[in-house]
Amino acid sequence: MDIKESQSLRDTLLKEIAKCRACRFCIDVCPAYQASEWVENMSPYGRLQILKYLINGTLEEDDPLIYSLYSCLQCGRCDRLCKAKGQNLEVANLIRLGKYLLSQGLVKGKKSEKV
Amino acid sequence: MKRSKRFISEVLSTLKDNIQRTGDPFGIKSVYWTGWTKGLDLPRSGETILLTARMYQMLPYITNITGLVASARPFISRRGLATIVNVGNRIMGDKILKVKSLGSKNIRSKGKKVLTGMVNALSAIGQRPAYLYEDEPYTGVLLYDLGLDEYIEDHVKKVYSLLKNHNVKKVIGVDPHTVFMLKKIYPKYITNYDIEVKHYLEILSENKDALRKACRKSLDKEFVIHDSCYMTRELGIIEQVRRISASLDITIMEPENNKLDTACCGGPIEYAFRDLTEKVSKTRVQELSSISKNIIVECPICLINLRKYEKEMGIKVWDMGELLFEALVYDNKKFNNSYKS
Repeated sequence: MDIKESQSLRDTLLKEIAKCRACRFCIDVCPAYQASEWVENMSPYGRLQILKYLINGTLEEDDPLIYSLYSCLQCGRCDRLCKAKGQNLEVANLIRLGKYLLSQGLVKGKKSEKV
Repeated sequence: MKRSKRFISEVLSTLKDNIQRTGDPFGIKSVYWTGWTKGLDLPRSGETILLTARMYQMLPYITNITGLVASARPFISRRGLATIVNVGNRIMGDKILKVKSLGSKNIRSKGKKVLTGMVNALSAIGQRPAYLYEDEPYTGVLLYDLGLDEYIEDHVKKVYSLLKNHNVKKVIGVDPHTVFMLKKIYPKYITNYDIEVKHYLEILSENKDALRKACRKSLDKEFVIHDSCYMTRELGIIEQVRRISASLDITIMEPENNKLDTACCGGPIEYAFRDLTEKVSKTRVQELSSISKNIIVECPICLINLRKYEKEMGIKVWDMGELLFEALVYDNKKFNNSYKS
């Protein structure tokens, strides 16, 4: 991914995440959140917030944040809730795209770039 | 959670490396996916092929590799030691996995039974797809799931050209992850993508009357269904499995989280977070087993994750292919013994 593509992906992600109305209905249906003793970082909403703050530079990649993002099951249950509540964000895919952005720095043997 | 960043970095790098080197997520060079075809005499070429994408054949390796990764995690998460583990994986990983998987006879024979059941069912409705044997590719779905999009394109193009070289026009997939990749993701990377992709349950459902006629016995038992996330939410294959079950005289019982609202088995993160996976799958098994001790699944990942609790919770997990095998290849006694009443 070149710099232009990376910037465009960041912009897309920030734009999409901004559409989240923080209703948090997606939280309760997330199996990883249910299995993590209700830690919000482990929920779809929490993961979107982590992504947002990683992209805008407020947070830096660390172990707990990577754990939160990579523990997303990609099961898409949150998408369904989001659609039912009228916002229709592709939450699981946004998190997956966030992983794509992160993989630039995580895969070894690549020129790493901080998210 | 400790050292997750380094650990994930190692996992992503190894996966990418394995697929680039061998086309296989485990980096196994020798052919391990054709053994199930023995005695089936499937044609080697044809416009319509059955693509297992090695998913059911991988099950013994998945069982072992998740155990190995969990026990090697403290080493993988450290810089110097990770390099040693990585080099070891390149040199010996293939052999270690092969030897370790020899002990997983049960899951190996279950996978074989599932695939044989599918072939028998397709034959019963007059479909005789070809099989690519040694040439059968892996679709690269793990690259997609883990956001390794940068490496997908190469892999997708290789697989597509392999299919075209074999003059394939239609693919019958046996698991939802493969069908999802071929149907939804491949067209994004290939212009004028022209391969028709269907899940075998869709085909059987369209011919359910012929399937009913071909059944040598009625299964006439109750099962609770675990819908796969990809199958329902991504592919919209929901009623087909219920229609086929009705053809086999199976009574399907529905859990609270079903169809489009199905709950995940926890499988997709098992490669790295085994503890969390176990919590997720246990919750799901508890929900399902409160309805019936006999659970139907339609995905290899769900199969391997839910069946871990067979002994502990006194359940039995059946893949749809296995039930087709039971209905089409008559062995009443074995089926009745396996069914948890």
